[in-house]
Amino acid sequence: MTRWIGKHAWNIGLAALLAALLGVTKLIQPEFGVSGVESLTRAALPFAFATAAMAVVVIVGGIDLSVASMMAVTGVTAAVLMQHAGDGSSVAVTFLTLLVGVAMGTVNGSLVVLTKVPDIVVTLAMLFVWEGVALLILEAPGGAVADWLMAAVVGGLGGVVDWVPRALILMVFCISVVWVPIKRSRLGLSIYATGSDRAAAFRSGVAVGRTRVAAYAVAGLFCALGGLSLTMITGIGEPVPGPYLLASVAAVVLGGVTLGGGRGGLLGPIIAVFILRLIRLMLTLMAVDPNVTTIVEGAIMVIVVMIGGLLTLKGRRR
Amino acid sequence: MRQLTLTAAGFALGLASATFAEGYSIGVSNTVQGNGWREQMICAMRAQARVSGEVEKLVVAHRNTDAAGQIEDIRNLIEAGVDAIVLNPANPDALNSAIKDAIDAGIVVVAVDQGVTAEGAYILSNNQSEYAYLGARWLFERLGGKGDVIYMRGAAGTSADNDRHDGFSRALAEFADIQVVHEVFTGWQQDQGKQQIFDFIATGIPFDGVWTSGIDNVIVDAFLESGAPLVPIVGADNAGFVAMLQDVEGLQGAAVTNPGSVGGAGITLALRILGGDVPESRTVLVEPVLWENTSEDGREMIAAAQNPSLDPEWPVSVSVPGWTTYSMDDIIACEGPGG
Repeated sequence: MTRWIGKHAWNIGLAALLAALLGVTKLIQPEFGVSGVESLTRAALPFAFATAAMAVVVIVGGIDLSVASMMAVTGVTAAVLMQHAGDGSSVAVTFLTLLVGVAMGTVNGSLVVLTKVPDIVVTLAMLFVWEGVALLILEAPGGAVADWLMAAVVGGLGGVVDWVPRALILMVFCISVVWVPIKRSRLGLSIYATGSDRAAAFRSGVAVGRTRVAAYAVAGLFCALGGLSLTMITGIGEPVPGPYLLASVAAVVLGGVTLGGGRGGLLGPIIAVFILRLIRLMLTLMAVDPNVTTIVEGAIMVIVVMIGGLLTLKGRRR
Repeated sequence: MRQLTLTAAGFALGLASATFAEGYSIGVSNTVQGNGWREQMICAMRAQARVSGEVEKLVVAHRNTDAAGQIEDIRNLIEAGVDAIVLNPANPDALNSAIKDAIDAGIVVVAVDQGVTAEGAYILSNNQSEYAYLGARWLFERLGGKGDVIYMRGAAGTSADNDRHDGFSRALAEFADIQVVHEVFTGWQQDQGKQQIFDFIATGIPFDGVWTSGIDNVIVDAFLESGAPLVPIVGADNAGFVAMLQDVEGLQGAAVTNPGSVGGAGITLALRILGGDVPESRTVLVEPVLWENTSEDGREMIAAAQNPSLDPEWPVSVSVPGWTTYSMDDIIACEGPGG
């Protein structure tokens, strides 16, 4: 039991912080309730997928600066193809969009591995490439989304569990379906091994190159889910990437994933996404000057990560 | 001790005024930060809310984000329990779900600057297509209906840029001998636009005029700094550019008004609707005006609009007649109710 707590200390701490912040929100705005949580979850959806994508790549020891651009490409792809599609073909379009995401991730990963150019440089270049691709697919915001997809993120589950937002179920389901099997498989082990020490992993027989490409491909898949979630929320495709790159790095760091790779999971970063969205909601409720809000958001992040770092150090010394 | 008493008295006064002011709470949502036009819009909203005397609290969600982020902001404003939301939409179609939620919650929604397609929302905006058409037609006429122009657009993929492109194309279609030799997106960024015009001047390809989507004063700067001969330039009514139309020797140009103060007008519209004075049409368009420095009348209009304390990136037209009641000092102070 204590071992379990020790292993998950960071996630438990984050969950406690989230619960405390929810309590404070309720104090600031007594009417904050089911609908508030539902809005919060819907807002968190694209951030959660971007963060999951970033986390996988960071765990393998890389970084992907093109996540927001890949979300834009997949978002406009889905919106353009669905504009004239019926309900039946919209299912096919959804799967095709996911494939596009995997393909883009594979391109990113292959370039990183084959050229031996640092991840940050390759994916920075790809940020611009995918951004241009998105604008080529759709010049101005437009397109359409199937109604069943838009309905999938609105409201609760219905019945006695109506307080559970659909967006939350969608988020948890999609991320678990992709990540849990991978994490439990050989690939998952290889990803963590490659991330913590590439040379040691190589000497132990891990196909380091293939593992890194696979991690980027998984990130591409999460980006496709993120892009789809954007079109599900807005009902259209937007070719200009949103603020998901830096937000995802922030959530990954706050979520306890080491930027050097090899440590952390996806649960922490996802809780961190909720914390960051909730802070934005609280600042709006308190009518804080908008030019101050970003400073507050950044300051809170630094403080939390710092306290976490200090606690970890203390724990190790003991 | 005396200071303490004073502070306490001030506090009590503040509390008293807060309890007596029976006013509305209004939410604002905007998705571009750090741009002169949008900053003026926000300041116009604050100033108008303050001088109206009817607004107790103004909640401003003002940051750089996309449509999904604006949906988040609108929902947060609904949670904050506002009576009305005045927003500059990131996209006409994308916000419908959030706007519907707001209207269902009994909140008055007013979109300023650009339209929204959501049912039940009010729209108060500058006519962007007409904005581009007016300036482009003036430029083409100035060139005698013949010549090569540089077309410096705004941000790719935004609806304001698309509407302006419609207007520009409409004017272009009327002049068969006008050619666009170079088309670029400035992204409405000053530094980017300046670099782009420098690059084109350096190619040595001849051109006769420049149409800009509001990134204008840096274009004039680029001509002056590179020593290239000045050509007619069309811009917006940004303070810096309008001053140049008056002061720069040999510059022929026109500024088309696109007041950011529609934000203040949006607050007025929201307050009127809350007070029961509902307009007949859901869409109110503010028509642009063209100021040019090649005629006596035009020069007089430009001279009258000057104010040295205005930020050079702000539009010079700081108010919308019939809609805003604040003074020039109010908007420059940029303080909201209670601030």
